[in-house]
Amino acid sequence: MAERKTERLMNLIFALLVSRQYLTKEQIRESIADYRESTPQAFDRKFERDKEELRELGITVEMGSIDKYFNDEPGYRIRRDEAELPDLELSREEAAVIGLATQVWEHAGLASESTTALVKLKSIGVDVDTSVLRMAEPKLSTDEPSFDAMWDAVTRRVPITFAYARPGQEPMQRHLQPWGIISWHDRWYVGGFDLDRGESRIFRLSRVIGEVETEGQAGSYTIPDGTDMKDIARALFPPEPAEAAVLRIREGRGQALRRLAERVTPLGDGLDEVEIRYSSRWELASEVASYGPDVVVVSPQDVREAVIQRLTAAVTGTLEATS
Amino acid sequence: MSRSRQQVVRMLALVPYLQGNDGVPVNEVAAEFGVTPKVIRDDLRLLMYTGTGEYAGELIDFDLTALEQDGVVHIRDAEFMTRPLRISTREGVALIVALRTLRASASGLELTVIDSALSKLESAVGDTVSAPVDILLDQVDPVIHGTIVEALTGRKRLEMTYATSSRDEQSDRDVDPRRLFTEQGKLYLEAWCLKAEDLRFFRLDRIVSARVLAIDAEEHDAEPRDLSEGFFTVGEQTPYAVVDLHPRAHWLTEYYQVDLLDQRDDGVWRAKVYGADWSWLRRLVLRNAGSITVIQPDTLRSQVVDDARLALRAYDEVVAPPKES
Repeated sequence: MAERKTERLMNLIFALLVSRQYLTKEQIRESIADYRESTPQAFDRKFERDKEELRELGITVEMGSIDKYFNDEPGYRIRRDEAELPDLELSREEAAVIGLATQVWEHAGLASESTTALVKLKSIGVDVDTSVLRMAEPKLSTDEPSFDAMWDAVTRRVPITFAYARPGQEPMQRHLQPWGIISWHDRWYVGGFDLDRGESRIFRLSRVIGEVETEGQAGSYTIPDGTDMKDIARALFPPEPAEAAVLRIREGRGQALRRLAERVTPLGDGLDEVEIRYSSRWELASEVASYGPDVVVVSPQDVREAVIQRLTAAVTGTLEATS
Repeated sequence: MSRSRQQVVRMLALVPYLQGNDGVPVNEVAAEFGVTPKVIRDDLRLLMYTGTGEYAGELIDFDLTALEQDGVVHIRDAEFMTRPLRISTREGVALIVALRTLRASASGLELTVIDSALSKLESAVGDTVSAPVDILLDQVDPVIHGTIVEALTGRKRLEMTYATSSRDEQSDRDVDPRRLFTEQGKLYLEAWCLKAEDLRFFRLDRIVSARVLAIDAEEHDAEPRDLSEGFFTVGEQTPYAVVDLHPRAHWLTEYYQVDLLDQRDDGVWRAKVYGADWSWLRRLVLRNAGSITVIQPDTLRSQVVDDARLALRAYDEVVAPPKES
């Protein structure tokens, strides 16, 4: 019965918290009804599980001997000075941003975790008034079914395995020591050491199929010093634009390209010559083609050809690999 | 986290909270903890079976009359726990990641405040060396971002030039800013547009220029649009095209609103692609020409062909200059 277990856990925490000395297992059993009413074997089982439960809750139960001269029986307690939240000096603005932060998660579990943290801060006298700020209100949401399992694996450092499929490909079983999770363009990725490939890799959570299974103990690998998820995710980013291209753009058109302009020269006849920098021929040719007759590539030649290839395919309506 | 574990965490936080807020209404407690009043009442009922012992005075107690009649909470015999437990690693990580998200969309002085809050919080959480979760938002022009924050905090009207992507237009307008928010990893401004006389959303990376005016922003009576389903929801009026997708274009199905109709053995997929308007669909097809072809409707197909023909003609006219040696 869940309620009975909750009651038992609360009483265990309170008993261990208020006691100034270590409590023996027998003393603990005597003081809690549910333990007392259990058979010795059932009590042992429950007590072990409850200690594990407290550990999961982040509450450290200290073990020590009751009498330092007769080192016979171990005892248990929760050290109040270590368990309690110390004072935290926060300015009005700092408290307000923490208040705002609790509104970021649109994920039920994480919203509740950050809300509890805020209530704890309020309980030690932190005054939270978010109206002193008019900041952006970002939201973090997750639709990916694998998110919770990944989050758990990453925060506890547990090796995992999962089926992973790119669109149109057969799923493959992958094995990963996860280092971190990153959100980019509202999509979640997990990065880490790919045990199949023997190098760091990044996986998109929405492409994980089915359950994520753990394959080992928590904390059973180390994350290399200086690991930055942003570096691992760099493969996702467009590289710095380096090449120069000259475009002929109709006045008032091609807005997205104009925002990249390094130089705009009016040519008359309702046309501008616009110079931009780009990093990917493929991206630029696609962007230019999307404007139809409003944007024409003057140089370089290979981008011109890539655009012409796209436009020709658009006229004929054929499917072919574009370069 | 299991529900019973969540309940233990909440009840442990309730005990010191209720002592610091004697006589607080149940509804207010519920709002503070982000749960329903029933959940709090259940917690209180269970708390009465807990304490440091099993005798009167050792068990936590509540003023039941006040609770039943006035819906307010007076807790008794809980003096053994007046401080909350430390912020757990899980709670700390959730909050730190949320602060990093705020940071990613903040500007100027806000960054300093967030950084100091982050470092204080990180030291309070203790053994969380660093949360292994990061948030990346697209960069926006810091000057434009700063101008918008300035208008928001000063509650001033904003003059701006905005580029509409799907119609490929640029226009000037005055707006009264309401709030900044993110959607799909991008920053948006919600503002009352004086030209449209309605609430509008503006993507920050499409604001070409912005200037704070010496005019106070006005309050406008308008319900904010419900964005819980995202900006783009497919309805009966939503334009769509039936297209064939070469394997190179299969990624489109992950990025846009698409209904997959058929997956052929040769790797070509047939799909319905929904768009905000026809010009967006036309640009999508032109952009991916060679990997995507329009099956229906005919109007879209012929528009694409006409656009491409016209464009190709321009390439006959524009002669590339000889390469510099």
